[in-house]
Amino acid sequence: MSVIDELSDVFKTVFDEESISINPETTSNDVEGWDSMSHVTLLMAVEDHFEIEFQPFEIANLKNVGALVALIEKKLAAKG
Amino acid sequence: MNYNIGAVCTTVQCAEGRANKTALRLINPDFSRADYTFSDLEKESNRFANGLQSLGIQKGDIVFIFLPKQLEVFISFLGILKLRAVAGVLFSNFGREAAFERLLDASARVLITKSSLLKKLDAILPDLPKLEKIILTDIPEHQSENVLSYSQLMKASDDHYEVEPTEPESPALLHYTSGSTGKPKGVLHVHGAINHHLLTMDEVMQAEDEDIYWCTADQAWVTGVTYGIIGPWAKGLTQVHYTGNFGIREWFEILRREHVTIWYTAPTALRMLIQQEAQCEDLPQDFPDLKRVYSVGEPLNPEIISWVKRRMNKEIYDTWFQTETGGIMISNRPGIEVKPGSMGKPVSDIEPGIFSDKDVRLTAGEIGCLRIKKGWPSMFRQYRNMQQAYIDKFHGDFYDTGDLAKVDEDGYYWFFGRNDDVINTSGHLVGPFEVESCLLEMDGIVDVAVIGAPDEMLYEKIVAFVSLSPGLEWSRSFEVKCRIHVSNRLSPVAVPVEFYVTTAIPKNRSGKIMRRVLRARYLHQDEGDVSTMEE
Repeated sequence: MSVIDELSDVFKTVFDEESISINPETTSNDVEGWDSMSHVTLLMAVEDHFEIEFQPFEIANLKNVGALVALIEKKLAAKG
Repeated sequence: MNYNIGAVCTTVQCAEGRANKTALRLINPDFSRADYTFSDLEKESNRFANGLQSLGIQKGDIVFIFLPKQLEVFISFLGILKLRAVAGVLFSNFGREAAFERLLDASARVLITKSSLLKKLDAILPDLPKLEKIILTDIPEHQSENVLSYSQLMKASDDHYEVEPTEPESPALLHYTSGSTGKPKGVLHVHGAINHHLLTMDEVMQAEDEDIYWCTADQAWVTGVTYGIIGPWAKGLTQVHYTGNFGIREWFEILRREHVTIWYTAPTALRMLIQQEAQCEDLPQDFPDLKRVYSVGEPLNPEIISWVKRRMNKEIYDTWFQTETGGIMISNRPGIEVKPGSMGKPVSDIEPGIFSDKDVRLTAGEIGCLRIKKGWPSMFRQYRNMQQAYIDKFHGDFYDTGDLAKVDEDGYYWFFGRNDDVINTSGHLVGPFEVESCLLEMDGIVDVAVIGAPDEMLYEKIVAFVSLSPGLEWSRSFEVKCRIHVSNRLSPVAVPVEFYVTTAIPKNRSGKIMRRVLRARYLHQDEGDVSTMEE
């Protein structure tokens, strides 16, 4: 399963919506319920799912899902 | 005078020569935009009023809107009011429990929403027997007798509608607000509130016909309705609304590109701007059209005041009101000296007072309960289905706000916090009871208490203390599950920021949670009198 597929499952759980479809260009404006409040829970769920930890400076300027996927992949690679 | 809010915002504006003036400019996240004139609003809201009427909806019926910011929110809202039905708006990020409680309590007959949001409510619809019709904004044709297409309904409806004379005491708006105990309360306002909305647009906003006005509040909250729909349109102003999410680049761009002159926002949003500014380059440096900034929801801290002055070269004016007051009661504004940190002075016709718990009026400098002498036009008229709770809010001639404040020798008011357990987080009031009830639904949590604690970004953050089933260990995964549960059942706003595991929740002998004790422990302060505590 690719990172974006796994991430898609996290989105579905966090936003309680099975029909959510994400791609690298997806932004918070494209997902119902993804606002600054739910963003915190989303990132915690991502950390928990992939067993990684984000630093505040890393997540401050995430523009879209593609940037989040890239960050997750970088973290996973560093974990080995 | 016809007090009908819907008519004042549209029909009256057209009659006064503003038919072709832009009333609403909707900005999308890609900065594409759509303009709607007062004539457009008039005709479309007439259609909606006719459409609702054709469904058998009449004066006094309650109609709810459950949508993100989009054109249909504004059109349907005005149409509901023209029909003299009662309009309520639900926050589109509400979870099913939060939406259910409100729709049930309101006995709503009609819900205007979209397919994806309706899906959230599927499981609860059978438990809403009074809900007769659902109008969906994103289906081309009616699905059934009860699930209707907004566009088909509009196409079949005439754009002429004669608004019946509307008395000032005619019910108009139903907002829900959280209390420290029990379920959210339905706060009812009347059409006559328009007089206070107009007064504050003149006296506080000091709006002029050519102003471009932007209120960032969501239409689900009292600010978004009163000062993001009614007030500005009742004054014939052009309003900007942005359908995207918060972002400094987008917000700054809108302020500049749309030539916004009056900007009404919230301290949490401003703190987020300050935080994001440090991480962004190439932001606009000046806002030549902006005249002034207003703030609501939480007290303004000095950092924000100085940032707005330095970064935007503008004054920022704090305003204070509540869902129950229906409009601004106390404010800073041009024409009176601003004392930084103060709430400002009462607006005309508003008489606040500071009282002790024993109903004794206090003198300047003494901190006590902030109360407002009853009788102002936008005063709420009831808590729906909670008559006693409504009566209890009044002490003699004064409405008790639940806030603690003082007045100084010069007549300026100063906020000191809440007199109850309601949590003000990022400008939203959250009742601890709602969050506790929600967390107790989680397998593994046997007891819980929720408090508000000071927070630099949110003003107050929600902190939860939980007792777990024997053998269960707290883990990050479990915390994520708790957060998701609260977010989806109630709202992302109600999610605790911090969780603490405790062996016992402090309660008094009648089983009531002693939140002040938890708050004291959290803040490492003295717990005070704990003689009645049974932990």
